[in-house]
Amino acid sequence: MLTTQNLTKTVSSQEQDLTILSEVTLTINEGDIVAIIGASGSGKSTLLSLLAGLDVPTSGEVILANHKLHELDEDERAGVRAQFVGFIFQSFHLLPGLTALENVMLPIELKGGKSPRKDALAILDKVGLSERVKHYPNQLSGGEQQRVAIARAFASEPKILFADEPTGNLDSANGQKVVDLLFELNEQFGTTLVLVTHDQNLANRCDRQLSLEAGRLVADTSEQSDSVSSNTKATVKAVSSEAKVAS
Amino acid sequence: MFKMAIKNFRRDWKAGEVKVLFFALIVAVAAMTAISVITDRIQRAMGEQASEFLGADYVISSPREIPQEWLLEAQNNNLIAATGKNVSTVISRGDKFQLVSVRVVDDFYPLKGELEIAVAPFEVGNKVQAKPDQGKLWVEPRVLSLLESKVGDIIEFGNTELIISGVVVSGPGQASEVFNVAPGIIINSADLAVADILGPGSRVNNQMLLAGEEAAREAYIKWLKPQLNETQRITGGKEGTPALQASLSRAESFLRLASLVSVILAGVAIAVAAGRFSRRHYDYAAIYRCLGMRIRQVHQLYLWQLALIGLIGVGLGVVIGLAIQQLIIWQFANVLPQPMVSIGLVPIIVSAFSGLVVLLGFALPSFFQIAKVPPLRVLRKELMPLAVSGWIIYALAIGSMAVLMWWQSGSWLLVGILLIVSIIAFIVIRLFAWLIFKIGIWLGKRSPTSVRFGLGQLKRYPAYTISQITAFGLAFMIMLSTYLIRTELLTEWQNQMPADAPNHFLINVQDYEVEALDTILQKNNVETSGIYPMVRGRVTRLNGELANEVLSKEEYQQARALRRELNLTWMKDLPAANKLVEGNWWLQDDESFDPSAVKISISTEIQNMMKVKIGDKLSFDIGGLSVEGQIANVREIQWDSFQPNFFVIFEPQGLKDFPASYITSFNIAKSQKPMLNQILEQMPTVTIIELDKIMEQVQKILDQVTLAVEFIMLFVLLAGIAVLYAVLQANREERVLSATLLKTLGAKSPFIRSGLIAELALLGIFSGLLAVICSELMVSSLYINVLDLTAKPHLIFWLVVPLAAAIFISVVGWFGIKSILKQPAYQVLRQT
Repeated sequence: MLTTQNLTKTVSSQEQDLTILSEVTLTINEGDIVAIIGASGSGKSTLLSLLAGLDVPTSGEVILANHKLHELDEDERAGVRAQFVGFIFQSFHLLPGLTALENVMLPIELKGGKSPRKDALAILDKVGLSERVKHYPNQLSGGEQQRVAIARAFASEPKILFADEPTGNLDSANGQKVVDLLFELNEQFGTTLVLVTHDQNLANRCDRQLSLEAGRLVADTSEQSDSVSSNTKATVKAVSSEAKVAS
Repeated sequence: MFKMAIKNFRRDWKAGEVKVLFFALIVAVAAMTAISVITDRIQRAMGEQASEFLGADYVISSPREIPQEWLLEAQNNNLIAATGKNVSTVISRGDKFQLVSVRVVDDFYPLKGELEIAVAPFEVGNKVQAKPDQGKLWVEPRVLSLLESKVGDIIEFGNTELIISGVVVSGPGQASEVFNVAPGIIINSADLAVADILGPGSRVNNQMLLAGEEAAREAYIKWLKPQLNETQRITGGKEGTPALQASLSRAESFLRLASLVSVILAGVAIAVAAGRFSRRHYDYAAIYRCLGMRIRQVHQLYLWQLALIGLIGVGLGVVIGLAIQQLIIWQFANVLPQPMVSIGLVPIIVSAFSGLVVLLGFALPSFFQIAKVPPLRVLRKELMPLAVSGWIIYALAIGSMAVLMWWQSGSWLLVGILLIVSIIAFIVIRLFAWLIFKIGIWLGKRSPTSVRFGLGQLKRYPAYTISQITAFGLAFMIMLSTYLIRTELLTEWQNQMPADAPNHFLINVQDYEVEALDTILQKNNVETSGIYPMVRGRVTRLNGELANEVLSKEEYQQARALRRELNLTWMKDLPAANKLVEGNWWLQDDESFDPSAVKISISTEIQNMMKVKIGDKLSFDIGGLSVEGQIANVREIQWDSFQPNFFVIFEPQGLKDFPASYITSFNIAKSQKPMLNQILEQMPTVTIIELDKIMEQVQKILDQVTLAVEFIMLFVLLAGIAVLYAVLQANREERVLSATLLKTLGAKSPFIRSGLIAELALLGIFSGLLAVICSELMVSSLYINVLDLTAKPHLIFWLVVPLAAAIFISVVGWFGIKSILKQPAYQVLRQT
């Protein structure tokens, strides 16, 4: 589903180049549920943005659903996102001028879905918001907004879903509800899920944990136990200069 | 994508995102439509009126018969053509003889306008478009008193006799013939042959009158012109009333200018509003991109939205503009030319296109920016789209502005002045930015905390502050300049046409009649502008040499005043409608008179025609006698003053040895008209020129123009408010955020309020001062170069405008934020 090879991101500051992510090589298979964990500034969000094709690596490769994202231009990557990718953000990122229903319809329409309204209503029902479809984001609570965001993410039935700190802006009760919902829908749709978090409890519910430290992948639970669940058939290798996979 | 654009558009509409953009566009288009349609209609209607004045759209005069071929060609061009003649002859009744100017009508007369024929002088008559029956004639009132006759009497005309069947009360051509000494009569052309008054050498002025559609007649005139010889002449309907030319062209300049500035103001408002719109859509675009929309699609989405805004805004603007102009036409039907001509399509199309040009020039860069937002902005909010090059933005805005200016004004001079002043304004603004820092730092040390806070806000983002001052300053400047020019124009018109301006002239009053005339006038309580002596003389020599030898052949050809007799007068005081531009007026006592060096005063026209200066000597031939005068001063004459004006004035004793006739002018009401009969009965040789009809028309036209001026002022104000509102709206979020943050940090409401108001008020003061400086520069430049007025500073505005600006900006700005500050801080922070 998703592989990277020596993924590196550096940014130039005034004095020197700063390496945010260094030579990350990993493979995520279809159906995997993966948590990317690490301290603040360890490069989690940068890795997520590269994996999802929101940004381009300074060097290295990302291949998502057989598309070499590192070779594609901005528009081609957008095409790949529309086709295969869904997002859930810490700050929800619902379009404030659209109702809950319209927000959920948008990705279906972009993908060229035939019945966006019907599909959107169905999934909003699944997240328990069928009563609030006509509400605008600022009329919804944080938990409700994130549920709309989850509905939007699954609405286009993406192959892979990226979630950036999905509970970061929520209290623990609401956070719990949202996480339950996320996993429930994920199981229903069989989506590959990659989430960034520093909530260890959440990470523990995932099949696999990738641990980042100062831009390097330092640990991968799949290497320690190869048969935790049926979903973790993936072989993810911690990056080391010795163990490079030939492309 | 179009469906989505419509949806987004509806959503933005509901959320009020496009309110300012729409308002600005509608103001721009409505202003342009209303103004151009109404000025187009008034102009065309006034052209019609001018034609009525002439009796036709065009009159072609020739000493020889009008060639048949010309008439045929006119008919081929679908024009109405009529021929006629003007001749001079003597008519008689009993022992009374009178030289008259005869209008011989072939077909019917006039082609445009009407003749008013009454049964007795100075009475209301019937309006006709015809010619007298054979054997009958119509006469001007003077003829009746000169021949001691009345309607129904028979007069002798060459070999025949004609019955007076009517008195001409008014008719075409009166304005141009007012100084004709011979009174006029109108006869049927059949009677001319019978009378047999035309011998060889008789001076006949053959005329062809033309009327028809504009395109056809212009094509015809173009065809005709090359065939004319020196003695043949075309008089066109476009000249209008000469006395009004200066005022009208000034009014036109003003209207064009004002509609232009309302458009530019609206353009600024559009730019500001579009900037805000695009900034508020960066997040949207980032999410769209993140969800997989391509750049092209985002471009399409927003360009469709812009197109929707453009189409609906322009459509609404045109409709509102048309409605407003129709409302004005209904409301003010009595002062507008009647019948009103229909709405022209051209001004509507031009206005609609101008609206689109403004929208594209000022909003496109911002809209184009939206799609360039990196999708990563969903994770890193600080990421902004790549900026469109500043040069492209400026070039697009200035380019579209120049196109519009040229479109509206047709004058590159005007475009140049406006653009140069804009550039100067920008330099001044830069200087101001520097001043703001100085004042800010200086004030910061000793002012109360809230003011320090306000100043601090301004100092923190200098570029941002400058852009706000620029926008506010520009808006105030344009409103102020328009107001200043408008006031100046209206005052000038009122001065020029006071209610008691003379509406009747008496000429050919003889020396011995002056006293009797004075008595009649006094008995009727009529005040005159003075009774001036008038001597007719011709300029013969310049400094002792023959005028035609001193001047080159071309100069002599052009100096028409040299080739005809001038009306000369003498006066003690400088007349009211004259301004001394060189030299001094003479002392008023008779003792300083030196017969060997008679002092004269000449007009600037004579000075330019004859290339003379103070101290030069001019010789005049007056009835065979010669008199020499030395130029003591030069006067500028205000020709549209409706006062008797003279090219050459002698000092009081200068012409005392020459027989003079007298001229006077006065204002009387319609009810006093019978007094004119009294005058004519007692002194039949006096010529009465009735200007009241012309003046009524002049007053009407000035009223129309005043109306147009007042009404465009409204649009300029609306556009100005659009700018102010757009800028305040665009910066509202930042103010709300900083105030809310302060609140979160524990600042009390009064502190936040006074700080915010201090910031807004300071912005107002700075932009108000800026506006005054730039207005003074712009207005004086326009006064001198375009409107032909004298420039003077307006000191009171230096105080009033900054104050008013401070109050306006702080009040409007504060009310826009007030409600938000009452909300709990966390709620505000969540929304922003």
